[in-house]
Amino acid sequence: MTELTTDSRVDRPTETHKTSRHDLKNDASRGTVARHPSSGDVAWAVALGALVLLAALPFVFMAVTSVQETMRMTATLNTADFTLDNYVRLFLENKFAQALLTSVIVVVIACVLNIVVCSMAAFAFEKNPFPGSEAVFWIYIATMMVPGQVTLIPLYGITGDLGLLNTHLALALPVVNAFGVFLIRQFMKGIPNDLLDAARIDGATDFRIFLRIVIPLVRPVIVALAVFTFLSTWNDFLWPLVSITDAGMETVTLAAANLQGRFTTDYGLVMAGATVTFLVPLTLYVLLQRQFVEGIVSSGVKG
Amino acid sequence: MVATSPASTSSTDTLSRTAQPSPRKARKPFSGALYILPSFAILLVVMIIPILTSLYYSFTSYSVLGSPTWIGLDNYQLLSQDPSFVDALIVTLIYTLGAVPLQTFLSLVIAEAVVRRFRNAFGRVVRSVLFVPVVSSLVVAAVVWRAILGTDQGLVNSFLGMLGLPGLNVLGNPNLALAAIILVTVWKNIGYFLVIYYAGILAVPAELYEASSVDGASRIQQLFKITIPSLRPITLLVVILGTIWSFQVFDLVYVMTGGGPGGATATIVVRLYQAGFENFQMGYASAMAMILFVIVVAIAIVQRKVLSDD
Repeated sequence: MTELTTDSRVDRPTETHKTSRHDLKNDASRGTVARHPSSGDVAWAVALGALVLLAALPFVFMAVTSVQETMRMTATLNTADFTLDNYVRLFLENKFAQALLTSVIVVVIACVLNIVVCSMAAFAFEKNPFPGSEAVFWIYIATMMVPGQVTLIPLYGITGDLGLLNTHLALALPVVNAFGVFLIRQFMKGIPNDLLDAARIDGATDFRIFLRIVIPLVRPVIVALAVFTFLSTWNDFLWPLVSITDAGMETVTLAAANLQGRFTTDYGLVMAGATVTFLVPLTLYVLLQRQFVEGIVSSGVKG
Repeated sequence: MVATSPASTSSTDTLSRTAQPSPRKARKPFSGALYILPSFAILLVVMIIPILTSLYYSFTSYSVLGSPTWIGLDNYQLLSQDPSFVDALIVTLIYTLGAVPLQTFLSLVIAEAVVRRFRNAFGRVVRSVLFVPVVSSLVVAAVVWRAILGTDQGLVNSFLGMLGLPGLNVLGNPNLALAAIILVTVWKNIGYFLVIYYAGILAVPAELYEASSVDGASRIQQLFKITIPSLRPITLLVVILGTIWSFQVFDLVYVMTGGGPGGATATIVVRLYQAGFENFQMGYASAMAMILFVIVVAIAIVQRKVLSDD
């Protein structure tokens, strides 16, 4: 799948593609066109343009509503109503900064934890197996099929028993998932064992080989796993909804949902919360577009 | 599901082992176990023990305050007669049958158009922008769409009011609410499946299209005779993934309608949440969880079967 989604790779030159490249060149240099866009192309361009608008406009409405003095959801930016009051109320009265901080801490813990433990396990399964390790790996694979909702109720009890309810760790721990092990292991198959054996002959310890040779070689997949972990943790809703009872420990996603619950018709405030919650993943997506698409699509994560 | 990097070198590995005393042999045989320990400990606590506990709870009567009492299959029997749970199964099924074919069809058609007609900047914009809803959390999507479709001051109603038309409470209408949730799901997922299909279509050998063009095949014929058959494994993945997600739907429904009006949008997980965390019937909710588990595993097994038939 990682391979499938590398959309940045060079497009295979099909016949139509060659022609259209050619067209562009002609257009630019001589002003003649070898193949006019067909009426089909125009119709498709209009249809796809409409879909692009449909995908983006709800977020535009969200942002526009969030900066206006309004108790309505609105599609137009009325400069007379412009205000940052919603954001002031969001951060001062509704402790949204606290929620942002909680989410950031949880995401950082989840990413570090997931990457460290998954890459260690993948290293052992692929490059340092022991009797029975393949059987353990199958247990890992089996857990990947279990929907999160199945573990929800006991997880709540266990977290309570461990005295971890309303802690950052409790929000981050369930993010650790066998999928990361599977993903990194697949990538490690590409590292020749001869390379590691050579290092062993030179007297390198397992840990040194893991840290100095294997980890640098699997960096791309670790980035993909980090993106996947970030997004699934940031966007997670059900587990925080169930396990967070202390308002000071709400994640942004939970806080954004709760704003709607409490201030249903205060659209300006509700949209300000949604905007802040949305801006963090959006910014990262804009900055790391390729890694995002790869990380998300290779994992089957649900936002 | 994840592409492998270059093939494993196990065969050369065996060769080198027999040829010379391998440094691997000298090491302690279980040194790898140490590296597995941290992830295993976490998985044990957050996955393996909870799964088994959930199975156990499903045979008990358990509210948070007391301790679980064994009642055998009673929960399952009650569930089979509980109209609200049977309705939840039906609602989830309708939701799945609405969302999955629609998002699969649309993402395929869009990907095909982008590959065939717009392998340029415009095509890139289409793919990038349609992916934005994928990045957004379901809660944000739900909050925004609720404000657009929902009650009195929503965007749709404001618009209808401006035209002098009577208001339409989409999310308050039992028939329209589920349809709205299906459409928002499709809106959220298209960009994801578009990326998968886009890569898949690029991987179809160009010669197939060239040869068929020479033979005078139209674009529509190429779509049905070349593209769609070549994409069969990908379509299968898209359908299976979409189906598994659909059966687990919660965030969208919970935030947009709370399962209402009158249970018209209450899916399996919404009922599970209500039973477990509003009514504190943990045993009953666990039985629902196990049924969900069986459904998801069944879908995965069917997937494996169909895939291995290829």
